[in-house]
Amino acid sequence: MATKTYLQAISDGLREEMRRDSRVFLIGEDIGVYGGAFKVTQGFLQEFGEDRVIDSPLSETAIVGSCTGAALMGMRPVCEMQFSDFVSCAFDQLVTVAAKQHYRVGTPVPMVVRLPSGGGFSGGPFHSQNPEGFFAHCPGLKIVCPATPADAKGLLIQAIRDPNPVLYFEHKHLYRRIKGEVPDGEHTVEFGQARMHREGTDLTIITYGAMVYTAEEAADAVSEKDGTSVEIVDLRTVTPWDRQAVLDSVAKTSKVIVLHEDTHTAGFGAEIAATIAEEAFELLDGPVVRVTAPDTPVPFSPPLEKAFLPQVADVVAAIEKLSAY
Amino acid sequence: MATGTLVDVVMPQMGVSVSEGTITRWAKAVGETIEADETIVEISTDKVDTEVPSPATGIVRELFAGEGETVPVNTRIAVIDIGGDGGDEAASDGGGDGAVSAPGTGEGANEGPQEVTASVPRGGDEGPVPGTRSESAAAAPHEGNGHNGDGRTFVSPVVARMVAEHGLDIGAIPGTGRGGRVTKKDVQQFIESGATAAPVQPQVHDVPHFAPPEAPDTSAPAAPAPAPSAPAQTAAAASVEVVGAGEAGPGEELYRFNTIRKVIARHMRHSLETAAQVTTVIEVDMTGVVNLRKKWKPEYQKRHGVNLTYVPFVARATIDAIGRWPWVNAEVNGETALIKKYVNLGMAVAVDDSKGLMVPVIQHAEEKNIVGLSRSVIELADKARTKTLSPDEMSGGTFTITNPGVFGALIGTPIIPEGQVAILDVEAIVKRPVVVTDEHGNDAIAIRHMMFLCLSYDHRLVDGAYAAQFMAQVKQNLERWDEQAYGL
Amino acid sequence: MAVAREATPVSSAADIKQADLDREDLLTIYRNMLITRGIEERGHILYRQGKIPGSFYTGRGNEGASVGVATAMRPDDVGAPIQRDMGVHVTRGTEAWRIFAQYMGRSDGLAAGKDGNVHMADIRLGLIAMVSHLPALMPVAVGCALAFKIRREHRVAVAWSGDGAMARGDAHEAMNLAGVHKLPVVFICDNNQYAYSTPNRSEFGVDHLADRAAAYGFEGVVVDGTDVLTVYREAHAAIERAREGGGPALLELVTLRMEGHAVHDDAFYVPRELLEAYAKKDPIERYRRWLKEQAILDEVRDDEIGVDVKRLLNEAMKLAEQSPLPEPAELFTGVYAEPDELDTPHHR
Repeated sequence: MATKTYLQAISDGLREEMRRDSRVFLIGEDIGVYGGAFKVTQGFLQEFGEDRVIDSPLSETAIVGSCTGAALMGMRPVCEMQFSDFVSCAFDQLVTVAAKQHYRVGTPVPMVVRLPSGGGFSGGPFHSQNPEGFFAHCPGLKIVCPATPADAKGLLIQAIRDPNPVLYFEHKHLYRRIKGEVPDGEHTVEFGQARMHREGTDLTIITYGAMVYTAEEAADAVSEKDGTSVEIVDLRTVTPWDRQAVLDSVAKTSKVIVLHEDTHTAGFGAEIAATIAEEAFELLDGPVVRVTAPDTPVPFSPPLEKAFLPQVADVVAAIEKLSAY
Repeated sequence: MATGTLVDVVMPQMGVSVSEGTITRWAKAVGETIEADETIVEISTDKVDTEVPSPATGIVRELFAGEGETVPVNTRIAVIDIGGDGGDEAASDGGGDGAVSAPGTGEGANEGPQEVTASVPRGGDEGPVPGTRSESAAAAPHEGNGHNGDGRTFVSPVVARMVAEHGLDIGAIPGTGRGGRVTKKDVQQFIESGATAAPVQPQVHDVPHFAPPEAPDTSAPAAPAPAPSAPAQTAAAASVEVVGAGEAGPGEELYRFNTIRKVIARHMRHSLETAAQVTTVIEVDMTGVVNLRKKWKPEYQKRHGVNLTYVPFVARATIDAIGRWPWVNAEVNGETALIKKYVNLGMAVAVDDSKGLMVPVIQHAEEKNIVGLSRSVIELADKARTKTLSPDEMSGGTFTITNPGVFGALIGTPIIPEGQVAILDVEAIVKRPVVVTDEHGNDAIAIRHMMFLCLSYDHRLVDGAYAAQFMAQVKQNLERWDEQAYGL
Repeated sequence: MAVAREATPVSSAADIKQADLDREDLLTIYRNMLITRGIEERGHILYRQGKIPGSFYTGRGNEGASVGVATAMRPDDVGAPIQRDMGVHVTRGTEAWRIFAQYMGRSDGLAAGKDGNVHMADIRLGLIAMVSHLPALMPVAVGCALAFKIRREHRVAVAWSGDGAMARGDAHEAMNLAGVHKLPVVFICDNNQYAYSTPNRSEFGVDHLADRAAAYGFEGVVVDGTDVLTVYREAHAAIERAREGGGPALLELVTLRMEGHAVHDDAFYVPRELLEAYAKKDPIERYRRWLKEQAILDEVRDDEIGVDVKRLLNEAMKLAEQSPLPEPAELFTGVYAEPDELDTPHHR
């Protein structure tokens, strides 16, 4: 067990799995010589060579499509979208080809798409998005959104071993900011198992990714202020998502805030809220509240971006309003 | 269990089904000394108003509930500093509805072995009483329980479910949510407290307590009462029809229902909702009874020391008629009826300057003659007005008599008390010219003392013919008073 | 001005021998072309009988192109054919009855009812199922080639596209990536001159689609797709060159779509003269003539083959109709793969 950054944990997970399994190879833009836009794959080219660390042309479609082909041929490809925003260019390959392949003709497509996502540093409309909602709507894909370094490693290795196309969203704002204990060696985290980030009794926040920390700060604030006890459930994976953990927490607190950095309408929070309404209606003691980014593109200028991203104060306000309900 | 020098005063449970009580008046202020058993507070509950004797001798340290505030039974409402080293037991030698001492923090930790546990009062932090202390972060809602300003109630799904599962009355649970909404936590605390409490009351002026009305003119039936209230047998969860939080405008006065009013309101409403109420009126020539009373009154006073009124006559005649027509003395439960062979006679009594109503019950009235009935009527009416009725003296009624006639009312349609199927309304006795027929069949106009009796009955069980024949029997009993049979 | 090489037609049996085909191979090609056309003709009948739901696509006129390329592939090569390439499925060994079952949405169809018509493939035969979004399988085939290259396997991937789909970015990205890494992949463009109703002149600005290959750093060849032998020869050459590390190639197989885009389309927009001209170049007739000219096929053998194919197809149709329709509960199966499904020869 060592303390590592979120980024280091991803890098380590990837490296370790490549050492263990020669079928794993990487393809993406600037991942080889440069070591990746965020240096996740720094040193990989030197260790694994050009065959397994492939610098590709600017071709998201070909990157994802070729991963599908390689996966069908028994490889375990891991590709990188330099920014998760660019996955829109590969939408067809993911949604049309990879996601439906097994359902249609029974051939598994074990591949991972790494997606550096999220805002908070003036990346603007094309370097800040959290596009998991698009893909959560597509059966056949799995979606992973780790929040902690340990999960970043464990979920990545699990993703590589999964027999399905997995979208691995790694939040850029966590890369170097978040440090934590990461198990050495082989470490996997099951999909669909939420993590109890913080136990509480008054109110539950269902979230994932970077918003786990926003929720945590808000929970600290209200706890200090008036003792409100907030439970934070980190979904860890959006597809599949841990309904039981959510429903269990709803049963416990009866008040729920769903928090995500993705935009509001038809964001994954809507699915969580709807599921709670369908399956836990009689457990509710207040409306299910969503705290999300608004329905706008991600703006560039700092005050605009701050207004866009869910802030601690927004979550605190939501907690207080729901607590008083 | 005293661990310090403080002794708690808790809201006593005045009867098994009572769940809450309202602070009517603090007899002592913070800092005053008090003797054990000296009245520290006057309270009002669903069933009875009473004084709470101090459990200990000492100094009143803190009051946790303001006047007019309603708190669940067993809620700690005051604490008395008994001085000393704290090793003493509470100084209550009566050991009655006493209290347990508690640590000064008093966070409900003093779970006593008896029913005298104290619990943390809720919503008392805005109490108007100087010296009261905030015990709860939750502010008392200024609307009624579960109501927002426009009088609507929202019950969340989880609360609805918990209330149904535990068989609770939502109206009895203090709400701390938005607009006084009952939250899941409120229900949890309610269940955990083991209490069946009613809502925290906002701080408004309670109904003023007027002096008991003067004894009615002895020429009129005693124990006047404008309308009956059901004995509060089912007050386990006193649901409250709370008015919206209106503001009193110029020329208006906001009256917040006190406990009695709330109970009356709820029971009246509920009775009308369940029973198929219908009223039959019959006219009785009371001349014979009037003469009899006139004749016997002095003797009666001398022999029994009791003022003879008309009510015992009507009561006796009614009890006798019930013996022949017992279905008016019954209780309907769904599609069954419990016909009762005994008569627990409820006597509606106006209290609080006719702004309140209590219904003491003469147990086994069928065993009493006019003297016994007279004594009971007077004694219970007295206790009602001074609010010293015991819970048992207010429960178990099987048939009720109400007497608005004392104020000159001629005809009424009273509401049947819950749990009964009939109520007899005794109207004013007035002199009227009536046609009388002598034994020879000759008609003549005569001045007679006439009175209407109005019987409201539950048509689910009692039909019109049955009721009429019962009434005819009462009429006959009164018009042909049999001194021998009923005695004096 | 054409940049790509235009393939010279095969003239003699000697030409073909050089390309590793013996007499029986040549007859097998003939038989496969007959089966291919027979499946689609009978499918069309079933469709008009209401036994096939959805829409129905045929590749009439493309039998030589599809069978020719597939014949040039080795068993461990892989391919991602499109909807005009029934000949690839037939040549690689897909059983006819399962194709009929596929058409009819039966449990024994290659997609078991989850997908229809030519959206099918048997991975065990090295084929990858197409999607409607052509040419989305071009990058996928490139990925197969990438896997072969990484593993140093002497295998080749064949990626099909139509002339219409060559306008899409997938084609560009796939060919560019393959060219950059000199991957063992051969791109086949079935140029049947129409993308639904859109003619070649509205689809691309170069003379030949094969001209584009030069831009990606590999050879482009324009081939008469009605000539199965020339198709075979060129495909064989390209595939073997790719296998030896020579990188990709793009073969443009020019044919004419002899029927509508799908059977609901009467293709009124295709000039009658063009259809008549290509009717004379019908790949099956043309090949039969050649076989007879080369004395490889006589009337007796031709009849035998014809009767055999007819019997095979009749039995296949019967068998397919016995295949049950899928249970509604099957709807929910297979959305996700289970880990043990990776324990296959392909994925180990």
